[in-house]
Formats: sequence, C-alpha cells, structure tokens
Amino acid sequence: MTILALILVVVSQIAQVGGQVMLKKGMVPAKSKRRKRVIALYLGAGVAFLTVWFLLWVGLHEKMELSYLFPFQGLSPLLLVVAAALLLKERTNWRTWAGIALISLGSVLVAITAAT
Amino acid sequence: MPFAQAIRGRRRSRGAKEARKPGHPPPEWYLNPGLHLAINCILMTVAELCLQVGAKEASQADVPTWLAWTGLRGFVSLWTIAGIVVYIVAFANWLYVLRWVPLSVAYPLTTVVQVLVAIAAWLFLGEHVPITRWIGILLISGGVLLSAKPAAQAEEKL
Repeated sequence: MTILALILVVVSQIAQVGGQVMLKKGMVPAKSKRRKRVIALYLGAGVAFLTVWFLLWVGLHEKMELSYLFPFQGLSPLLLVVAAALLLKERTNWRTWAGIALISLGSVLVAITAAT
Repeated sequence: MPFAQAIRGRRRSRGAKEARKPGHPPPEWYLNPGLHLAINCILMTVAELCLQVGAKEASQADVPTWLAWTGLRGFVSLWTIAGIVVYIVAFANWLYVLRWVPLSVAYPLTTVVQVLVAIAAWLFLGEHVPITRWIGILLISGGVLLSAKPAAQAEEKL
C-alpha cells in the first residue's frame, strides 16, 4: 500500500466517523436559545464530512480490490474509541484495548497483501 | 365464519396496537428488527459491490488524472448511482433498526458485513482473496466485536 493510499484511507475513515458524530449531535441537540442554528450547523457539517468520506471512498475503490479496501472500515470503531479517550478523557477497559490491538493487527495483515 | 374471522381480525389488530407501545417491536414478521438488521447487512454488502463495479467501470473513463483520486469520476457509472441509492435505503433501514435495538447491540452485529463483503468479492467479482487477507479480515472482525460496545457508547457521548 502506498503512503498516499494509506493517508486517503485514514482520512476517509476520520471523515466518516466525524460525519456520523455530527449528524448524531444534530439529531439530539442540546437545548439552547439558538437551537435551530445549532441543528443546521451540525447537520450541514455532518453532510459535508460524509460527502468527503464518500468521494474518497469511491476514488479508493477505483484503485483497489473490494476485499482489500473494505476491511479498513474496521478502523471506524477504533477511531471512535480513540476520539472518546482523547476528547472526553475517558478511561478504556482491557476489552477495548484488545479490540484495538486486533483491528490494528488485522489491518496490517490486510495491508501487506497485494492491493490488486 | 365471517363473524369469527372478524373477531379474530379485530383481536389481532388490537393486539398489534398494544404491542406498538414504545419499547416493544411490532409483531408483524416483516417489521421484525432482527430481520431488518439482517437486511441491513445484506444491503451494505450490495452497496459496496455496486460501488466497486461502478468505480472499476468509471476508471476506464477518460478524465484528467487529478480527478481520479477525488472519486468524482465514479459518477460516470450508473453502478455508482445504484450504490448510493442502496446506501440511502440501508440508512433508512438502519434508523428503523435503531428504533428498537440499542446501538451498542446493533452495531457489533453489523461486523458480519466484513465477512459478507469478502465472500461477495470472491464470489461475484472473482477477486482472489489470499489467506493472509482472510486472517486480517477475521482479526478486524474480532476486534470490532470487542470494541463495538465502547465505540457505540463513545458515539453517543461524543
């Protein structure tokens, strides 16, 4: 896997996770005076993020086999957990760490096989 | 007989109404959340297959190279459009599933898509899936199963 492809895969997954979180926030907005604006901002940002994800994702399909590219969708739970750990300062349990280790190891194994 | 049927029908419909209280999935088999979760996994697999066929078809199209990585070229193919439509249907279907099933339960179960996509790529696209890749896919699936619950909780809190 080339460095460029790796970066694009990771960026697309970050965009997807970011988009999902934004949409979620837009659907369940905190009560505030500028409620409508907050909802519109979150939904707009969510759609923008998901558009970035989708375009990158389609572009990656052109270069790679499906069975090579799709496993990297497994990075999204990893990114969610890491984001929660960083942003919410949450402590993760051993199950989560084991899961992260398995996803990382599996991704490496997939990555070292030939892409096409 | 019509009378008995009418009573049975009415009773059933009343039962259905009672079951529609929040927290109880509808009793009709075609509205079963588990069935829709299975349908969701199949829809996701189909969407990915369409995208792959579309992207490969579009990669033959003659466009400037700077467009190639943006994915915009994919829209040349109707398969890509079909993939998007299936994705949207899958999204609506997913929202229905989440009405009845908590995210922390539904999300881990969609891991099966990982394996379904690999099998579908091998069966329908004729991709050769090396053993190393199979092992990687299974490891990722196991990892997602382990970390899906905290990930789902993280999504709700983030």
